[in-house]
Amino acid sequence: MNRKKDKGFESPRPFKLTHQVVCINNINFQRKSVIGFVELTIFPTVVNLNRIKLNSKQCRIYRVRVNDLEAPFIYNDPTLEVCHHESKQRNLNYFSSAYTAAVSAVDPDAGHGELVIKVPSELWKQGDEMNVLKVYIEFSLDQPKGGLHFVVPDVEGSMAERGAHVFSFGYQNSTRFWFPCVDSYSELCTWKLEFTVDASMVAVSCGDLVETVYTHDMRKKTFHYVLPIPTAASNISLSVGPFEILVDPYMHEVTHFCLPQLLPLLKHSMSYLHEIFEFYEEILTCRYPYSCFKTVFVDEAYVQVSSYASMSIFSTNLLHSAMIIDQTPLTRQCLAQALAQQFFGCFISRMSWADEWVLKGISGYIYGLYLKKTFGVNQYRHWIKEELDKMVEYELKMGGLPVSSNGHLTCPTPHLHFSIKHPHTLSWKYYKMFQCKAHLVMRLIENRISMEFMLQVFNKLLSLASTASSQKYQSHMWSQMLVSTHSFLKSISNVSGKDIGPLIKQWVDQSAVVKFFGSFAFNRKRNVLELEIRQDYTSSGTQKYVGPIKVTVQELDGSFNHTLQIEENSLKHDIPCHSKSRRNKKKKIPLMNGEEVDMDLSAMDADSPLLWIRIDPDMSILRKVEFEQADFMWQYQLRYERDVVAQEESILALEKFPTPASRLALTDILEQDQCFYKVRQGACFCLAKIANSMMSTWTGPPAMKSLFTRMFCCKSCPNIVKTNTFISFQSYFLQKTMPVAMAQLRDIQNLCPKDVLNFILDLIKYNDNRKNKFSDNYYRAELIDALTNSLTPAISISNEVRTVDNLNGDVRLILEEITRSLNMEKLLPSYRNTITVSCLRAIRMLQKNGHIPSDPSLFKSYAEYGHFVDVRVAALEAVVDYTRVDRSSVELQWLLNMVQNDPAHYIRHKILSMLGKNPPFTKAAESPLCNEALVDQLWKLMNSGTSHDWRLRCDAVNLYYTLFGLTRPSCLPLPELGLVLNLKEKKAVLNPTIKPEQGPDTTEMTGITMGGLITMETVSSVSMSSGVAPPPQGLKRKLDSVVGPLGSSSPEPGQVLQEEDTSKKFKIRVRISSAEDEIDMESPHDSQAFIHHHLNILERPSTPGKEPPAVDQAVLSLPVTPLPSSFGKESTSSSKHSGDHHHHHHHHEHKKKKKKKHKHKHKHKHESKDKERDSHAFSNSPASGRSVRSPSMSD
Amino acid sequence: MADPAVMAGGFSAVRSGGGKATSSPAENYQLARRRTLQVVVSSLLTECGFESAEKAAVESLTEMIQSYISEVGRCAKAYCEHTARITPTLSDTVVTLIEMGFNVNTLPVYAKRSQRMVITAPPVTNAPVIPKALIAGQKRTHPSHIPSHFPEFPDPHTYIKTPTFREPVSDYQVVREKAASQRRDVERALTRFMAKTGETQSLFKDDITAFPLIAARPSSIPYLSALLPSELELQTLEETDSSEQDDQTDSENTFLSDDPGADKENSMLPPGGVVPSVKASEENMIDNPYLRPVKKPKVRRKK
Repeated sequence: MNRKKDKGFESPRPFKLTHQVVCINNINFQRKSVIGFVELTIFPTVVNLNRIKLNSKQCRIYRVRVNDLEAPFIYNDPTLEVCHHESKQRNLNYFSSAYTAAVSAVDPDAGHGELVIKVPSELWKQGDEMNVLKVYIEFSLDQPKGGLHFVVPDVEGSMAERGAHVFSFGYQNSTRFWFPCVDSYSELCTWKLEFTVDASMVAVSCGDLVETVYTHDMRKKTFHYVLPIPTAASNISLSVGPFEILVDPYMHEVTHFCLPQLLPLLKHSMSYLHEIFEFYEEILTCRYPYSCFKTVFVDEAYVQVSSYASMSIFSTNLLHSAMIIDQTPLTRQCLAQALAQQFFGCFISRMSWADEWVLKGISGYIYGLYLKKTFGVNQYRHWIKEELDKMVEYELKMGGLPVSSNGHLTCPTPHLHFSIKHPHTLSWKYYKMFQCKAHLVMRLIENRISMEFMLQVFNKLLSLASTASSQKYQSHMWSQMLVSTHSFLKSISNVSGKDIGPLIKQWVDQSAVVKFFGSFAFNRKRNVLELEIRQDYTSSGTQKYVGPIKVTVQELDGSFNHTLQIEENSLKHDIPCHSKSRRNKKKKIPLMNGEEVDMDLSAMDADSPLLWIRIDPDMSILRKVEFEQADFMWQYQLRYERDVVAQEESILALEKFPTPASRLALTDILEQDQCFYKVRQGACFCLAKIANSMMSTWTGPPAMKSLFTRMFCCKSCPNIVKTNTFISFQSYFLQKTMPVAMAQLRDIQNLCPKDVLNFILDLIKYNDNRKNKFSDNYYRAELIDALTNSLTPAISISNEVRTVDNLNGDVRLILEEITRSLNMEKLLPSYRNTITVSCLRAIRMLQKNGHIPSDPSLFKSYAEYGHFVDVRVAALEAVVDYTRVDRSSVELQWLLNMVQNDPAHYIRHKILSMLGKNPPFTKAAESPLCNEALVDQLWKLMNSGTSHDWRLRCDAVNLYYTLFGLTRPSCLPLPELGLVLNLKEKKAVLNPTIKPEQGPDTTEMTGITMGGLITMETVSSVSMSSGVAPPPQGLKRKLDSVVGPLGSSSPEPGQVLQEEDTSKKFKIRVRISSAEDEIDMESPHDSQAFIHHHLNILERPSTPGKEPPAVDQAVLSLPVTPLPSSFGKESTSSSKHSGDHHHHHHHHEHKKKKKKKHKHKHKHKHESKDKERDSHAFSNSPASGRSVRSPSMSD
Repeated sequence: MADPAVMAGGFSAVRSGGGKATSSPAENYQLARRRTLQVVVSSLLTECGFESAEKAAVESLTEMIQSYISEVGRCAKAYCEHTARITPTLSDTVVTLIEMGFNVNTLPVYAKRSQRMVITAPPVTNAPVIPKALIAGQKRTHPSHIPSHFPEFPDPHTYIKTPTFREPVSDYQVVREKAASQRRDVERALTRFMAKTGETQSLFKDDITAFPLIAARPSSIPYLSALLPSELELQTLEETDSSEQDDQTDSENTFLSDDPGADKENSMLPPGGVVPSVKASEENMIDNPYLRPVKKPKVRRKK
């Protein structure tokens, strides 16, 4: 975008920011508000700089001064409501483009911003001399919905005693949510940060803490931070709370902060951070760039890890004690990720969004190196495979995943329902996969130029940046701290002398992956392996690969690598074999790693010397390989190939070969404790699948039972498991997994064998952790999971209600265990409540299989705010599942309500993404849930309801896409057939069937808004006359009670007439405008536009083949009495949607408030609330309107 | 003789009706002795020049003299047993008297005083028969190394153990089984109790008592209970920690001190690594801006 190939960075702004002061004087936890000011020091780079565009969202701005002169300003945030006055479109294509346009309009990378400050004309002349300008902005935040998150537990005591804290968060550049700034990763400046907080609190922010000073009343203290390293505003963060402070015992510059009472956990969890530091500093041969580092652990974190300049904010749930096994590696990984991002992401920033992949790639890559060093090569390769598979799957599903939106090709992405041009329009899943692909591409580059060169490149980038960062007052040098795709490639070619252009073109600029199909034949006469590699490059998400590919062939005489050239038309490759087919004598067989092993070769084909073949074993192409070889070859590969990736591939392949030989191979792997534990875990599940396929021929005890007994049970009494020790982690993981896999076994009746169930119940019964120094919570949770896995659908005799009496005996036992475990958790909660989580899943499974009545109320109570987040997510998952299975609109409403109101951002995000994964319905299927009200609600959610959280908005878009697709939702009436006369979009899709209950609202409104109806008087009177036609009996009662007192003559502007024409079968809708349109009418200009708009609607051409709608027609058809049958249907559905009423009700009230403010077109709930509260103090605050001028501006 | 009297010698109090003849030989014996004491008291009073005395005074004095004599007896017996004998000797008595603050030297003079009255010896009564102890089985004779003058062995039933309980089960399987079912019973009883006494949720609509679940109650700070190890776990940790200290070879197994405040040093021990030697001594010298004292505000001088 702003990148010039030859020159360095060119700022899109007509000024250069050099320094910014952020001062927050007051943080009020009670009111959740923040007051402060910022001062930006800028150098104009053009003459006559008259406008300064800055970023600011949701801040209320009191005054702006430029060099001590009051400056007028305009505040306009188009992303608050993406589509204005849009009532009919409702299609995602439209929304997506509007949203992209809105985001672009304020994109700091393009020099735009929400806040436009007019430089006072007195200063224009100064501009000629390029003098420095100081822009001073006073602002406040009241109950911020994004950017800053307040956690205020509802208990007794002072804020510090309650553990109240606040921290900044956001997805990509989101700093504008909490203070005005240039919210771009490419605009660097130095910082002075001041935070005045309660004396019992600590304010942790970026940079060095210079001093802490009490205020005069000694009740507060001010933390002064200075960040001399030029940093982008997007990398600035803050957290304030009554933190416990731990200075790292190894590195005194590093300070850790956690919430009260968690200090022991913090000490343990942070005890290895110094190793990560040492590792990165060593491989990068570069000191950690900042003079200090802070880790803060907060509750209700937005993401697990977020990195900012010299500090990282983590979720407090990463902390653990020494007793916890499973969390330990996860926490270390999070720390390692955070630290990698300190170097690449915080210290080195990016030029534009198109260059983001470089930073994410490098930090992901060096994190991978850390994984390799700490957790071993097996873990590393397993991780790479996992990431590759995940990414490939996503690309094939989505049809491509371009990493850089600014490649040589302008990637057309019509297949995506979101734009990838901005980080803020991306779906979260895409962002995840983007990071995944970025580090995989880095690995490909490493394969090409070697790791040594790779690290040299990183070192070069870092040393350039650190030289630049020390250059004070020479801000033009600071662009060296920004990385771009171009500069990165240039460094690579300088260091390695290699041109990786084609590689970048293939994997970065181009989306899509390669899909290989391989098969082979052995030509005995020529002693040649005839390998055929085909590609699928026609289906979506795939591309054609041309170039080298490595093939490894394990023969009797050893392992041989061959590099084949994949060309346009060559499919077949002849590979000469080294060994003679007839094996001579008993000889050890050399493997790739030099090891020589004895093999039982009786299984193999006597004519062929081939043991197994692997295509692209090093994963040096982003590909999916489907290779065909005989079952015995897979078995050899599993037993003898030492690469975990090969082992995992063969396990996957063996699922298709349910034979005793496969069984033996898998069992052997399970028993081999040299083997990587994750491979063994995989083998467990594969063995269960094979056993199920071999059901009729299976001999002996159920799969894995005797193995488990041998490994983990007492010698003297094989039915009793040993007391837990968990000294060997490999065995621990196997012990955890085996019962879960065993529970997947099924007998001929497709039930879990009685043996297995009793076995698992015994494991639970005899579990004894008294002598263990580790907690067994994860193990117990997995035993519950095993019980869940053993469940099979209940035999149901008609649709009888599930009662206690007809509970199956086995299920009763299971249920007993689950109840007891769940109850025990209340008394002795386990770490991260893992057992509760498993129990909730089990209960949902019992419901789903028809053993107990399906009922969401239990889950709803666990999903409430105030439970541990993992428990909430598990409960919500169950509710989501219930919503889909039972097609419950009540639950769907409940979930969507939570999306709008829950205090925890992560939960909101999680609900939407779970709904997306397990949707209540999809665009392909019919569902009673799919109705106009829902479309409206979701539309509103993504249009205006989620403007405070980029991620949430994208989640909402995703869900909308999953439910309705890209085009107009099918449940909406065809726009051509409905005559929609109002501009108020919310009115437009109000479900007509719920009208009667809305009588009071709408009527009241009409009283106020009569003026707006003048233009349509005739129509409305007609509609009235029919609107009060006697309703059918079903609705009568409601009408009487609600509308009755108002009299049947009161006009209802939202009245919708529905008439079913039996011959034509289409609906005619008449809607009469209401609400705010008359606000526009006040000014002559607007009323003109209003009328014009209506004319447009009337003149709109219809879809071919359908009769054009006309007022006449509507009027004509009105006298026809509505068919009772159609009303009857509606009345039933109206009761179903009672959940909506509340929502709409609010909405109407809201509108009433708005009416008082004629100037403000903008409808934003949050702000209008503010308005009401502060209407006296800030009645002319400019921050709330779309195009409102500040008082000084209007002067 | 109307008042009940406490008899010496530690025997149980004997209640006798006023003037009523008692039938028990033991009581007769004691009454006779008591009467003698009364005579003694009366004669001593006479000797001192009293012509008459109230009955109550005589009773009190009798009581005192009886206590005194009993104490002399008890003490003499104790001294005698202390020197491994069973019969008190004169010296035992003398020591006793000295111990009780009596000047022994004055005794012979007092005994030979002229005006002393001679009283009649108490009437001979049958010494009370000591009820025969139960004898079960043969008493053991002394083994050769014990001199025969030593007391006899007591009755065999006093020292021979009689197994009245079953051998404790040491079979591993049974123990495990028992522990498991005990734990399960306790847990079930406890959770049922909690469920009965508090709010519950139910999985079934027809029988809400069938599988009662303790109602989920949101907490204000949910992460604390979810992250901090429970007291039980800490206890376990402590036990295993002390019993299995040799097992700490695994580098991952660093132990958290269960007391967050007290044992700062230990809990920061690196996993299997070496503690930086400077750390312990320089704990207070760490220069970290967050540890620095908060500055006082500068006084602004307004002019």
